[in-house]
Amino acid sequence: MTRGLVFNIQRYSIHDGTGIRTIVFLKGCPLKCPWCSNPESQGSVRTSVWMKNGAEESLGKWMSVDDVLHEVEKNEIFYRTSNGGVTLSGGEVLMQADFAAELLKEVKALGINTAIETTGALPLKQIRKVLHYTDQVLFDLKIMNPDKARQIIGEKIGMIKQNFEEALNSTARVIPRVPLIPGYTTPLENLRQIGNYVTGLGIEEIHILPFHQYGSSKYHYLKRSYHLKDTPLLKQEEINTIKEFFESAHIKTVVSGLG
Amino acid sequence: MTELYAVSANNFMNKRTESLLDKMKTFLFQNERRISLERAILFTESHKQTEGEPQIIRRAKATAYILDHVKINIRPGELLVGNRTVRPRSGILSPEMDPYWIMKEIDTIHTRPQDAFDFTEADKRVYREQLLPYWSGRSMKDFINGKIPKNAQKAVDDLVIKLNQTDKGQGHIIIDFQAILNHGVGYYIDLLSRKSKATPSNYFFTATKVIFEAMARHFLRYRIEALREAKSTEITEARKVELLEMADMCKRLSSQKPQSFYEALQLLWMTSIVGQYESNASSLSLGRMDQYLYPFYKRSVEEGAPEFFIREVLGDFYIKTNDVVLLRSRESAKCFAGFPTGYTVALGGLEQYGQSSVNELSYLMLDLYHSIRLPQPNLSVRINELIPRRFLNKTCETIRLGTGIPQVFNDEVIIPGFLSKGVSLDDARDYAVVGCVETTIPGKTYGLHDIALFNFLRVMEISLYELRDRDDLTFDRLVAYLLKRIDGYVKDVTIGSDIVDLAHREFAPIPFLSALVEDCIDNGKDITEGGARYNFSGVQGIGEANLADSLFVIKKLVFEQHEMKFSELVDALEADFEGKYKNLQNHVIHDFDKYGNDNPEIDMIAAKIFRHYALELGKYRNIRGGEFNAGAYTVSAHIPLGEDVGATPDGRRAHDQLADGGLSPMVGRDRLGPTAVLKSVSKIDNVLCVNGSLLNLKFSQARCRAHREFINLPIFSWRLPN
Repeated sequence: MTRGLVFNIQRYSIHDGTGIRTIVFLKGCPLKCPWCSNPESQGSVRTSVWMKNGAEESLGKWMSVDDVLHEVEKNEIFYRTSNGGVTLSGGEVLMQADFAAELLKEVKALGINTAIETTGALPLKQIRKVLHYTDQVLFDLKIMNPDKARQIIGEKIGMIKQNFEEALNSTARVIPRVPLIPGYTTPLENLRQIGNYVTGLGIEEIHILPFHQYGSSKYHYLKRSYHLKDTPLLKQEEINTIKEFFESAHIKTVVSGLG
Repeated sequence: MTELYAVSANNFMNKRTESLLDKMKTFLFQNERRISLERAILFTESHKQTEGEPQIIRRAKATAYILDHVKINIRPGELLVGNRTVRPRSGILSPEMDPYWIMKEIDTIHTRPQDAFDFTEADKRVYREQLLPYWSGRSMKDFINGKIPKNAQKAVDDLVIKLNQTDKGQGHIIIDFQAILNHGVGYYIDLLSRKSKATPSNYFFTATKVIFEAMARHFLRYRIEALREAKSTEITEARKVELLEMADMCKRLSSQKPQSFYEALQLLWMTSIVGQYESNASSLSLGRMDQYLYPFYKRSVEEGAPEFFIREVLGDFYIKTNDVVLLRSRESAKCFAGFPTGYTVALGGLEQYGQSSVNELSYLMLDLYHSIRLPQPNLSVRINELIPRRFLNKTCETIRLGTGIPQVFNDEVIIPGFLSKGVSLDDARDYAVVGCVETTIPGKTYGLHDIALFNFLRVMEISLYELRDRDDLTFDRLVAYLLKRIDGYVKDVTIGSDIVDLAHREFAPIPFLSALVEDCIDNGKDITEGGARYNFSGVQGIGEANLADSLFVIKKLVFEQHEMKFSELVDALEADFEGKYKNLQNHVIHDFDKYGNDNPEIDMIAAKIFRHYALELGKYRNIRGGEFNAGAYTVSAHIPLGEDVGATPDGRRAHDQLADGGLSPMVGRDRLGPTAVLKSVSKIDNVLCVNGSLLNLKFSQARCRAHREFINLPIFSWRLPN
């Protein structure tokens, strides 16, 4: 049986898809976003360690589909009544597309709502494996300028767009999500490009996720430098301005994420 | 009424309603709380005059004497009359119940850390020289001390059980407010006069008649007071209109039944105040206010009462429920800290056809809380599958204020619980909340819901030390031994509770409250004699979470992983994890899962022990023929009960607090969020917690503000255990 490398299962989330959800975090990500709040998941799919409170702690656990099902079914009664379900996140879920597909298939077979949270940063054949079993796709759109995207986060914007459009052509509901990272994704020109891109595809709803510092201690555990250490949080007015910007383009805008 | 509405309209238009209510709130809290000897002195004076008469008559006459002589006033701006003391939030002594604790604490009440009261030197002298000598040797406490058998006393001395209500009146009753609102005071005077004439040998009828007549006179005293104030030159014309209306209303209510929402609230409050004078007890709760007041509300609205007026008087009522606080001994104040006076209200729920009983008044009562925000009335919402989504939203919006109000109760667990105890379907659907979180059938129950506390963790500690040197010990044997120990203490707690029950019957019958509890008048018996329809006694099992965590650690550490011998573990506990056992404490805290994380292996330990306890308790009948019911809540008793227990295998140090709530996991031991906690808690069969149970769930306020879903979703999707 396929096994997946899972680095966390969070049992109560209300930010990543509808209702009360369990989030399964899969390890491995091809990108290197400097603001990443799960830096321990970056890189290839393999276990690693960090030093937490003076003790070595291993990151990632190989689990079978049944192992994960056993965990996510514990909250089944909450999905039933809240329209919630299971969200696969990461890392980048498509790094383990085969495992993800198998898991999503089983979850969906139980009548539980499924969602993935993805950057779309892998060749099309990966996302094709999972879309059929996915009810909601939360799709990150970050930096639209091809050069900057490549330099800063290692992303090929053409591939991202291909993946995004592939998702749109599936039966899944697709919600673009924009992390609002000061200086990176928030310049007006970038937001305008995102707005133009999604309206051109007929998208009516977008989620914006204000920058937070919850991941900062992880860089310390990993003994890595964190370039956004001194980046201040966005002010409420700044968030409102961005919200109004999208809404003026007739896109329903939801401020989401931890707040 | 029209003139009064005009005044209220004027207040409202000029945005003065809010500031009037604020002023009343300020008035409540501007002075230090002080002991008032007034009730004690009047009660004693009356008792000196009634030597030789039957106890129930003496009590009734004493209550009547208080109603006739206690100083009264009308607080600035209030629309409802009836104040237990002239000075708000006074501490009332009941030396007839227990004169001794007061003497012991007479010089520390002012400085004690929890719920302190000022006690003037002059009053202390009166207490020492007059009250104490009179009541010494003839109080209820003397009776209890003389009667408690050795075994039950040993259970108290072992710190396993705490008997409550040994020093104050027996509260935790919801009287039949609907009956008095539908009939009025005059009806009861007539009825009881006829009954006492027909059966003069029945003192209960005479006693109740005496108090109802005094209640009528008490109303008339307020009429005079209102008229007197109305003549003052220092008040506005508007206030004069209000006072004259209040005077008229007092006259009407001294005999007639109420005709409007305003009058109903006034009679409701006065009834509750008379009950307070009679018993000076904790938790004469208000029951299902949105139900029994609804006909009056509807009628007043139809007759043109404006909403702002309704809100103004109801706001006044809310504030007044904070005017009464309960003086407790130092030890009792630790268990029930912060004046949980128990003006508890249950909103929503089901009506007799099994449909949702949420009405406009239910919404209004929650909404009004947003602008008053005082600890009383303690609002509760009954939740079930049929609750309107809009009302559930309103409930969540109120919870999001972050004040801990309202509490939510799950009809789908509580109603079957009552059915299993022989309560009729109609009555079970009518349940309400009494005290803090205890459930009761309003107007029909004498439930001694707060009669005793049972410290599970202490029983475990005793068992561990007793088993310390047993070579043939297995985990199953340990559990079996513990359950046996629990059985013994359960027997003791029922015996102790019965003595307190009997003491209240002998010393403190409460005829007024009894007349307003169904079946007492038909039976011609006080509730303490067993006159009520339902007769329970409720004993709270406390320490469940720590017990389950501890047993799980023992199971793994000693019997499965063989890391240490059982006796060594007990050595470590005895050493309070000091010295060479420091690492062990870390190990048991961090390396073993705990209750609250949806781990069936641990949760079922808690479930098994609680079920055993509840069923064992249910085998006993109290002196009124009713069942003993299990509860699981602590209010603040997890602090003092923790002080009674040494270090435990879950890593808890000696004398540290126990888990709060009753069903909540130990502080900081739940790692997986609220859904996992709910799953753990729901493995304990809450249908067995007929006396009530409590889970405290805390959410970060910032997140609740930012995302309504944070709190709405869990509540929507899980009708909490109760």
